[in-house]
Amino acid sequence: MSNGALTRRRIFAVLGASALALTAACGGGDSGDDSAGGEVTLEFSQWWEPELPDGSLRALMDRFEEENPGIRVELLSGPYASTKEQVVAGAAAGTMSDVVGLDGAWVSDFVDQGSIASLTGLMDDAGYDDSALASQVQLEGETYMIPVVNFVYPLFTNDDLLAQAGITAPPTNRTEFEAAATALSGLGENVSGWALPLSLETPNGVQNDVMSWVWASGGSMLADGQPDVTNDEVRSAVEYVKALWDDGAIAPGSFTMKEQDKVEEFTNGRVGMVISSLAHVNTIREANPDLNFSISAIPAEDSYSGERGIPYASWGIGVAENSEHKEEAWKLIDFLLSEDVNAELSTLANAFPGNTASVPDFVEGDELFGAAFEIYQSGYPANEFTGLPVAEELMRMFSEELQRALDGEQSVDDALETAQDRWLEEF
Amino acid sequence: MSQLTLRPAEAGDGGPQARRPGPRPGRLRRSLTPYLYLLPTVLLLVALMVLPIVMVVGYSVMDNVITTRSSESVGLDNYVEVVTDPVFHTAIRNTLYFTVVSVLAHLVLGLAFALLLNSAFVGRWAKAIFRAIYVLPWLFTIAVVAVLWRLLLNPNGVVNYLLDVTGFIDGNVEWLADPDTALHAVTFINIWCGYPFFMISLLAGLQGIPKDLYEAARVDGASAFRQFWHVTIPQLKPIIISMALLDFIWTTQQFALIWMTTGGGPINVTEMLSTFTYKLAFSKYEFSMASTSAVIILALSMVLAFFYVRHQKVRD
Amino acid sequence: MDLPNVRRRGLKRTGVYAGLTLGAMFAGLPVLWMALSSFKSNSEIFEYPPRIITDNFSFDAYTTILTDPAKLRFFLNSYVIGLSVVALTLVVAIFAAYAFSRYDFPLKRVLNVVVISVQAVPPITLLIPYFGLMVTLGLYNTYPGLILTYLVFTLPYAIIMMTGYFNTLPKELDEAVKVDGAGPLTALWRILVPISVPGLVSVGLYTFMIAWNEFLFALTLTRTEDMRTVPIGIQLLMGQHSYEWNEMMAMSVLGCVPILVLFLFFQRFFIGGMSAGAVKI
Repeated sequence: MSNGALTRRRIFAVLGASALALTAACGGGDSGDDSAGGEVTLEFSQWWEPELPDGSLRALMDRFEEENPGIRVELLSGPYASTKEQVVAGAAAGTMSDVVGLDGAWVSDFVDQGSIASLTGLMDDAGYDDSALASQVQLEGETYMIPVVNFVYPLFTNDDLLAQAGITAPPTNRTEFEAAATALSGLGENVSGWALPLSLETPNGVQNDVMSWVWASGGSMLADGQPDVTNDEVRSAVEYVKALWDDGAIAPGSFTMKEQDKVEEFTNGRVGMVISSLAHVNTIREANPDLNFSISAIPAEDSYSGERGIPYASWGIGVAENSEHKEEAWKLIDFLLSEDVNAELSTLANAFPGNTASVPDFVEGDELFGAAFEIYQSGYPANEFTGLPVAEELMRMFSEELQRALDGEQSVDDALETAQDRWLEEF
Repeated sequence: MSQLTLRPAEAGDGGPQARRPGPRPGRLRRSLTPYLYLLPTVLLLVALMVLPIVMVVGYSVMDNVITTRSSESVGLDNYVEVVTDPVFHTAIRNTLYFTVVSVLAHLVLGLAFALLLNSAFVGRWAKAIFRAIYVLPWLFTIAVVAVLWRLLLNPNGVVNYLLDVTGFIDGNVEWLADPDTALHAVTFINIWCGYPFFMISLLAGLQGIPKDLYEAARVDGASAFRQFWHVTIPQLKPIIISMALLDFIWTTQQFALIWMTTGGGPINVTEMLSTFTYKLAFSKYEFSMASTSAVIILALSMVLAFFYVRHQKVRD
Repeated sequence: MDLPNVRRRGLKRTGVYAGLTLGAMFAGLPVLWMALSSFKSNSEIFEYPPRIITDNFSFDAYTTILTDPAKLRFFLNSYVIGLSVVALTLVVAIFAAYAFSRYDFPLKRVLNVVVISVQAVPPITLLIPYFGLMVTLGLYNTYPGLILTYLVFTLPYAIIMMTGYFNTLPKELDEAVKVDGAGPLTALWRILVPISVPGLVSVGLYTFMIAWNEFLFALTLTRTEDMRTVPIGIQLLMGQHSYEWNEMMAMSVLGCVPILVLFLFFQRFFIGGMSAGAVKI
């Protein structure tokens, strides 16, 4: 115990410091949503702020506050991957924010929970004309979510790699795509034709990279709102994916790959073609300015000539059922969907506007975005998972069965039938 | 380390002074004293742990909660459903493999590193440096561990590159995405980030073993291996058992690592009790089922804890 | 000492160092790769074949983090919460461990089982009832809310370790004080606690690490950016569409440096303490 006293002093110093910290903590912890001076404070929780350029969403909120004296907006941001848990927990504890960012896949579950309010009544009360809205997510005739901006998922192709493989134009139908994917994979040197992210953590690859083949050929995975994944369109798409897999045209690591990984592979020139969000255009450009790539519609069945469905993901918005300021909350939604603001937000997010009258700046100034806008307008936005119950779990189940089929444990038919049964249980 | 060479108290359950008859008026006070010392702990644990656990037990006999507007009791139906779910069985199997292999490997690695660090051949500074390096995997939040290993084990990642260059493998191995390797891969990652806990404790334990025990063994002509087996291991046994119990309970709880590397896949080869429970709660929104699963895990752990406490009692 | 013996010693020495180096590679190389990645650009992190030092080698990721007041606030929050949890856990655990170590009482075994097994409930299922409780208590989005949370998370471990630690100390120590007419409290604070400094340090460091690294409850129990902690800051860099790999790596490196410094500073005690705690529970 030669230096026991010294040690003791050190320990007490640590204890003392923490006691101070604790005192400071108790004093500073309570930041509030109390309405100072008759003002209403709206809480707006979303995952958008970290995705957008620094301070840009706050700037829009400042403008809203200016236009609507007496309303303050507090932005609450969280990581995208945990947003859903936060909303569920918040609704259960009655602390949900007034206005919440939503994904179409969550809507049905939140409505079941009674956590989000119908917007139909709010629109009526405000005398809102909804004809300009590109879409609304409705359940039993009531609107619960309005997409503020939409990220479409077209086909990205690495033009240099395609040229190396002797292909001059992006593929437009399945036969061309398979030929291109096989040729790309034949280049060796760790190059693959296509990437198929099937991670079970975030199973949205099923929506964007598998079902997109169905929708691009005008097909559907539902019949009268009920699961119908054993129909010919879904079967042909899944068999097509399986054929690509057997050709060795799909990049390794599929079963745990996520959207973010897919983009990194494409950016580094190891995957020649991906179906990916328009939001990635700038990410790819920043990360690899030399990459020469273009955007085209997702290939359809060879004989198909109709309109093509194009998958999309939304930043949707809704109002909490427990909000005491629903009227003000609607004003904020109205603001975000107004022509100018919506165009500006779309520009910031590299997404397409939820207001059909809005035209984001990048469409005119940028060749790639221009091309994407054309694809968007010549087809129709398709995402059948939006509004389905436990939508994410449906994707996860499908992904599991698809993995079994790709792994050779079961046939494609068996996979679809099992998926169909498992889906039916959830409806 | 002077305190370690002090003679341990008889203690544990009921030291001598606890039983010594005191003056009568002091008796009640004396028998209340331990409760007084335990009061803050009991208050905190009851209010903030036991109460929520009781609520979870309550949820587990309802048809559904939280995500529904009204709920009613269904008795033990949920238990029957969870226990008969084949995925639950898979989860138990995987959790057992994951936990047992992790704990054993933590122990073996922890012991090996501790023995190396305790070696008389290593200088003081070298020891300090190696200790710091060995403790590194322990210092990162689990999300970062997951992301780091996804990066390393990526089919085009640095691990495959090194193995390819040195000729151990040919082409891309999909460590986390191949159903044949995924469970081993996540177990390996968990081993990597968990062994320092054992290492440090065992290192300290080694320093506490009296030197004369080894001297005596050497006089008897015991080989290095026999010394290890008949002196080191018995001396470390109490530490090993305590660490193993704590590690066992913690490892069965491991969620973030598995979720963020494989999401329970591919297919369901890395499905664990923790991922199974999570999906019930936040993907299927069946909080009652999730609670049921949690209560089953709690019950299993309580059995373990009970045997452990009994074992302690016998030893004392 | 004859020649073959010297040679054998030399061989053993080489063996020990070879083993240590192998182990250090196993433990350290992944972390080294993380540190190297923090100096790369996002696309270089995914290069194949991988390179150790890349063209765009830069400290940008660190500059970005260290000049962003919001991110520095995450670090501050994590320190405040971590240190407070350590202080409170130690105080509460010392009393509980003293009771478990020095007294015999009817409910002892029951309480022991409870203390061990409350750790066994998957936290994810506790999240919602626990969250409701915190809101009811008015502790949502406050430091005390998170501090109390981690306090109950770390208490079982701390009590188990401290009980074991006290058990290794001879009873004669506290008896001696009591003979002088002092009460058990004096024995605890004047004798047992000062001797147990190594144990306290080891439990304290471990407690700090749990509080520092926890994510799920930290996220759910806070609402505003000024209350968020480092793990949330790291996950905020994992976006919907892409990750800021280099900043994530940099933030992890920055986060681990203070803990490593603490460990180096305390390591003599740390290593002394843990074992004793584990000897007897």
